[in-house]
Amino acid sequence: MIPRYFILVSFIICLVSSCVIVKGYEKIAISDPDMKLSDTPCDQNVTVAHAYREAASGAGDGKMGGGCGCN
Amino acid sequence: MMKKILFPSLLLLSFSFGNSQEPKKQDVNFTKRILENTEIRFLSSYYSQNGENAAVTGGLGTEALTDATGTIIVSIPLTADDVLTINAGVSAYTSASSSNVSPFDGQQEADPFVASTGASSADTWVNMTGTYSHSSKDRNEIVAATVGVSKEYDYTSFSFGGSYRKLFNQKNTELSISATAYLDKWDAIYPIELRPFGIDGIGFFRPTEIRGSSNYKPYFKELENTNRNSYIVGLGFSQILHKQIQGALALDLVQQEGLLSTPFQRVYFADIADTFIENFQLADAIERLPDTRFKVALGGRLHGYLNEVLMVRTYYRFYKDSWGISAHTANVEIPIKITNTITLYPSYRWYKQTAADYFNLFETGLSTDTFYTSDYDLSKYTARQMGFGISYTDILTKTQLWKLGFKSIDLKYYNYSRDTSFSFNIVTAGITFLVQ
Repeated sequence: MIPRYFILVSFIICLVSSCVIVKGYEKIAISDPDMKLSDTPCDQNVTVAHAYREAASGAGDGKMGGGCGCN
Repeated sequence: MMKKILFPSLLLLSFSFGNSQEPKKQDVNFTKRILENTEIRFLSSYYSQNGENAAVTGGLGTEALTDATGTIIVSIPLTADDVLTINAGVSAYTSASSSNVSPFDGQQEADPFVASTGASSADTWVNMTGTYSHSSKDRNEIVAATVGVSKEYDYTSFSFGGSYRKLFNQKNTELSISATAYLDKWDAIYPIELRPFGIDGIGFFRPTEIRGSSNYKPYFKELENTNRNSYIVGLGFSQILHKQIQGALALDLVQQEGLLSTPFQRVYFADIADTFIENFQLADAIERLPDTRFKVALGGRLHGYLNEVLMVRTYYRFYKDSWGISAHTANVEIPIKITNTITLYPSYRWYKQTAADYFNLFETGLSTDTFYTSDYDLSKYTARQMGFGISYTDILTKTQLWKLGFKSIDLKYYNYSRDTSFSFNIVTAGITFLVQ
């Protein structure tokens, strides 16, 4: 239980500290493609494999839409 | 004396005023294009899985499967504000478990652990998705619309959707909402031994070859509704937390209706006597699942630079649905920028789910149950995945191939294993070009 609260509190602290606005010219690191808040494009087919094989997939990832994924 | 002070001061003021005006002129007259050049990305992957709990053979049988996929993704800047992206893919697979929809091929004794050579042993899946996005002049609003279609032998899917993103706070904060609908249709294929018991069936299956219980009467009725519709709403929030850290939260709500089971997945009941032909047990029924399912998932990401070389990309997602499944997914990837152009990607992923209310092991469910399945994808398990990748990026696209400027190449490998018998390996490769 403690790690959950720790993660939650850490996240809230980070969120609160975001009151300091990062200017456009300060976003060199943020603009790095690896900072993008999504899977990397090369992982597209791995994500589909997870969607086929894991119950916790969203529709459209393969198994429950966009393909039966039933093999 | 006054003139001596005033003149340089005015001169300085005029310079500073002039300088302060310059960026505003640029802001008005020059808007950076969303995408400067057409971008072409080729993706390919080879996937291989193994396991001994195939759903097609009621939770006991080979799951051997290989899949080779090729995808092309083309992003075309239509105007300074509009981009069209086409994603087209072809996937060719061979599946031992699917081959056992019809295990009696006459080549060898039918056995759930041996692939047959029938028509269902291989198939091709094709997919095409088009996305059109429009950004406002100040780049604080992005609207997108998507349509897609996919097809394999017994399954067709049509999808459409849209999304809206709004950036605030000098582009430090983003809110998004998206909605997608999938309208799918099965061309139902049943296990071969059940087909004689369907509409216009002869009512028996190879009676002279049967071993075990000679009175083979499966619980089988052909499915009336073979549509499957899925509706998804997604809400997103992302925030730049620091010059080197940003995070996001996402909520997904999914409602599904229609045929949510798979027509050719067998079930064997504990209270029904067993019947065999060769080494293959004939099905008692096909899996039966509710015709609605509601899913909710809440996920978060936190990405940041630890120093100039090390980054960390973390992801966590909690999932729950109306079939009694809850799941946790955690992923960490640590990009290591060993040079300006080369990055390494070690990663670790952990996944755990509980079983669906309707899941039963091989021959443990009862024929009196309303819903039943022996699909181990709906069982309780924990999975771990190790990954490693390497990427080379040439930002200046110095290497030319005809009119294509080479931008990047990526190679990744993942090994996935459950605490049951299932495991897979996948190798993916991607190469990106810019049209000059």
